[in-house]
Amino acid sequence: MISFKKVTKQYNGDFIALDNINLEIKDGEFVSLVGPSGAGKSTLIKMLIREETPTSGQVILDDIDLAEVKNTEIPFLRRKIGAIFQDFKLLDSKTAFENVAFALEVSGVPAEEIKTDVMQVLGIVGLSGKGANFPRELSGGEKQRIAIARALIHRPKIILADEPTGNLDLVNSYEVVKLLWKINEIGTTVILATHDREIVNTVSKRVISMEHGKIVRDQTQDGKYII
Amino acid sequence: MSTNRSHEHAEQTTQSFERIFSSGWTNFKRSSFLSLGATGVMALTLLVFSGLLVLNFFTNETVSYLDAKVDVSVYFKNSAKEDQVLKVKNDLEGVATVAKVNYLSREQALADFKERHKDNQLIQDSIAELEENPLQASLNIKAKTTDGYKGIVDFLEQHNLRDSMEKINFYENQVAIDRIRGLSSNLVLWGLGGSLFLALVAIMVTFNTIRLTIYNKKQEIEIMRLVGASNWHIRGPFMVEGGIYGLFAALLALIIFYPAVYYASGKLAVVAPSLNLFGHFVGNLGWMLLALIGSGLALGVLSSFIAIRRHLKI
Repeated sequence: MISFKKVTKQYNGDFIALDNINLEIKDGEFVSLVGPSGAGKSTLIKMLIREETPTSGQVILDDIDLAEVKNTEIPFLRRKIGAIFQDFKLLDSKTAFENVAFALEVSGVPAEEIKTDVMQVLGIVGLSGKGANFPRELSGGEKQRIAIARALIHRPKIILADEPTGNLDLVNSYEVVKLLWKINEIGTTVILATHDREIVNTVSKRVISMEHGKIVRDQTQDGKYII
Repeated sequence: MSTNRSHEHAEQTTQSFERIFSSGWTNFKRSSFLSLGATGVMALTLLVFSGLLVLNFFTNETVSYLDAKVDVSVYFKNSAKEDQVLKVKNDLEGVATVAKVNYLSREQALADFKERHKDNQLIQDSIAELEENPLQASLNIKAKTTDGYKGIVDFLEQHNLRDSMEKINFYENQVAIDRIRGLSSNLVLWGLGGSLFLALVAIMVTFNTIRLTIYNKKQEIEIMRLVGASNWHIRGPFMVEGGIYGLFAALLALIIFYPAVYYASGKLAVVAPSLNLFGHFVGNLGWMLLALIGSGLALGVLSSFIAIRRHLKI
């Protein structure tokens, strides 16, 4: 369960990125977060992985106020949440396999277990044969699928996807969304920030529209892309 | 149960270390161009350090050479009897700061003089003309340390047989020796200052090279943080990588240093045959290995540690 309680984020004293946000997301939901650039979608997602803290208000994840999480505990929080980004954020110096494995290595998982899990998750995203390739040798769609594999490797309860299709063509975008859908079906909460109308309308689940840091519309079922 | 858990924990820690080391090594291999640059710069730094050691060697040699040159000689009047001279010698040997006293009798002095000038007929003839031996009996005194001479001279000045002494020649040597010592200590000071300055510059260049290497990986560090890597998991491989730069740099510096010293030693032997520069450094090979590898490792690991700090702020 995620809740935002009167969350406001202000930068440099005057620019307001989030303005009094009140929001609840239940376990297992698929939420599309829509709105033009600068509406506050990314800021909202950054708060969930504690890259940002609110200027006022609370962000609560499973009864924990994220502002109270100590710096040394942040890595543990991030291991519980899978995050996917528009620019993939893969480690260029590591192979696809190593990129996914890295997320497990930092948690001290034994090597044998890592090998099995990584192979399995590469299978899920359909890239079993690409483990030895470096990111520069992969297409945009493949890179994003590796990033999804990495996000899934911890079996997280929540997946945050910030414009995951922003750099992809239609076919690859659809592949990525299908994967997110599949992930949601096994009970994982998915929060998808996007301004891709086609995708939102295809998913057709809860849609939250944002503008100028405020929530302007919250369609809880069969939502469509409306700003 | 708790033993099991602690065993598991220990296993995890070992595994983390292994991962950090192998990751550092992999990074070093994969970014070979950057690694080469950083290693080269560090090798230069270490060569400056080695230069400092060579300077130190010269300084020590100069000082001990000068120390060996310092002594006090007392010349006795021709009227002084041998037992008086031997009494002074005996008294001097009782002084704690005295290392050695050599007695040169008038006869021996003359014999030495003749021997030294045996090829000069004019001198030989002149001596034969003389009725009496013109040379004086003398005592040559070596102190244990150079600070001891002042006390020895004072001791002689106050000796009850002072009247039978013609002159104490420390005063004559003292000015020349003090001047040379002053010069050499100035040389040492300037050399040391210059080398330290160079070393400082070299350390800063090394630090900046590593900082740039890490800056290049700024995005990677951000990604590592996003997937939940703790600071040690991020920092560790960079520190290992820095250590590897240091290790290779130390080996490179040694490979350059020893042939260079060997070459310089050969040239130096022509000017100062008593200086064995190469022999000195071969004799201290173990220490050199330890010093260069130690400072290489420390420089690499510490530079990485400091350079990465600013990227780890959450």
